[in-house]
Amino acid sequence: MKRVTSAVVGIGEVPSGKFPDRSELDAALTVCREAILDAGLGPRDIDVVLPVGALASSHWNVDLVFSRLTEELGMLRSAKMNCQVMAGGATSSSALAVADALIASGQARRVLVVHSDAVGSLPKQRGIDLFATTGVSEEWEAPYGHNMNAVGALATARYMHETGTTEEELASVCVSLRKWAALNPNAMYRTPLTIEEVLGSKMIATPLRSRHCNMLADGAAAFVVAPAKDAPSLTKTPVYVRGHGSLVTHYSMSQDTDLARLGFVEAGRAAYAESGLGAGDIQLAAIYDAYPVWPLIALDGLGLCAGERAGAFVAAGETSPGGSLPMTTNGGMLSMGHTGVGGGIAVLVEGVRQLMGKAGPRQVENLVNAVETASGGTWMDSHVTVLSREAA
Amino acid sequence: MSTQPRPLPQPSPWSAPYWEAARQRRFVIQACRACDRPIMYPRKFCPHCLGDDLEFRPSAGTGEIYTVTTQVAGPPSGFADALPYVIAVIRLDEGVQLMSNIVGDDRERARIGDRVRVDFETAGDGETVLPVFRLARAEGRAR
Repeated sequence: MKRVTSAVVGIGEVPSGKFPDRSELDAALTVCREAILDAGLGPRDIDVVLPVGALASSHWNVDLVFSRLTEELGMLRSAKMNCQVMAGGATSSSALAVADALIASGQARRVLVVHSDAVGSLPKQRGIDLFATTGVSEEWEAPYGHNMNAVGALATARYMHETGTTEEELASVCVSLRKWAALNPNAMYRTPLTIEEVLGSKMIATPLRSRHCNMLADGAAAFVVAPAKDAPSLTKTPVYVRGHGSLVTHYSMSQDTDLARLGFVEAGRAAYAESGLGAGDIQLAAIYDAYPVWPLIALDGLGLCAGERAGAFVAAGETSPGGSLPMTTNGGMLSMGHTGVGGGIAVLVEGVRQLMGKAGPRQVENLVNAVETASGGTWMDSHVTVLSREAA
Repeated sequence: MSTQPRPLPQPSPWSAPYWEAARQRRFVIQACRACDRPIMYPRKFCPHCLGDDLEFRPSAGTGEIYTVTTQVAGPPSGFADALPYVIAVIRLDEGVQLMSNIVGDDRERARIGDRVRVDFETAGDGETVLPVFRLARAEGRAR
């Protein structure tokens, strides 16, 4: 078991969706301010800024790398380091692990992690083409028409083949997430969705239909990490980082030999061991989605389905409001919107928000421990983080 | 409708022999002379022992489908005219995997576990030849 060294002490977020009149800078400043104030801090308390990668505008990403936020937010000559962390969709877990390690080693005391991107405002074909490069080999896969929806489709086909998961069960993931999104004012899609609507939607890449596929969105979120020993003096609701595990399984999808499992068994085992907690201790799952198969793979790998197949578990309503394991209660990328790297940041922030007791109408009662997952590129890696209201 | 051309592979110094073989309608797999293991896709160094004494060996180009999808809509630029096209991960009999297209009139019937055999298609510029795969059960039928 690992000694707990850090806690998330503040969060900030803006609505996800299509906001062509809201700049990335505007959204970034808004969420940073919210997170810093939520942590009971001022800008000059932040000593390390970790802006995560932005995809839509290379100029904006360069601004993030070169300390623009540090200057805009009044941290000049107080911040010690501004350094980009980028692992695609896995940046959430990765940045938290980096922040935790910086704090554990004494290199940092107040770390601000921030995401802001506007991939939702890209023209549709540019969005498709952009995501056909994120973890898709230019030489070995792109010439065959590979793209992000095909990534989801290829994994889904293999997972269904190996597990016997049905189309209805797969669709139930989208329905479960939409039920949560209906309670989330920051979500892009909030109108109810049915299994029939999912199964009746347009085929994109077999077996995935349009309602199985995420929609790109503009969005931003931020969080502040501080030493565990300081956390109770900063906020009444610190969320302790109890354990983390991860495994890289591929760069190009063709090289993964176990697409129905990825690395979630190994990552989960490591995260549980570090935290001293097990699947039976987890009351909430903040699971990276983007396509419905990925939460199923993670739920299976983490042993969170009470011995059932994940598909049957989700179809029975166990992950929906009122179920035994509330899952991805912001609606996930399938309903809140896929903001690029921020899709994972939003899932992490939502897990923290729930543990802080700040989730409003979708607040889950009696929470102590939650598990968060993330994965980048074409699900190149499997990350699992255990978060808790309790430091030990 | 997009008018952009399809992306074509830009060979590296160590992958060039693979693409040159494909131009000659031969399918080859890289292997490490030091540890005698097959490597796909071609690498600069052996991913098993980091050896640099690598060669290309002839392959029958047979294997089975590990996973497969038919792209029906929403393709990347350059592929609108190809719809519906079939993307698969092939597990070759040598034990290595690659991504390719399943081609042929029966391509949409491709399922996980189906046996496949390599074939070759000339890509957009007329100079590049891509290894593709056909369902093995279709052999002998009119193509």
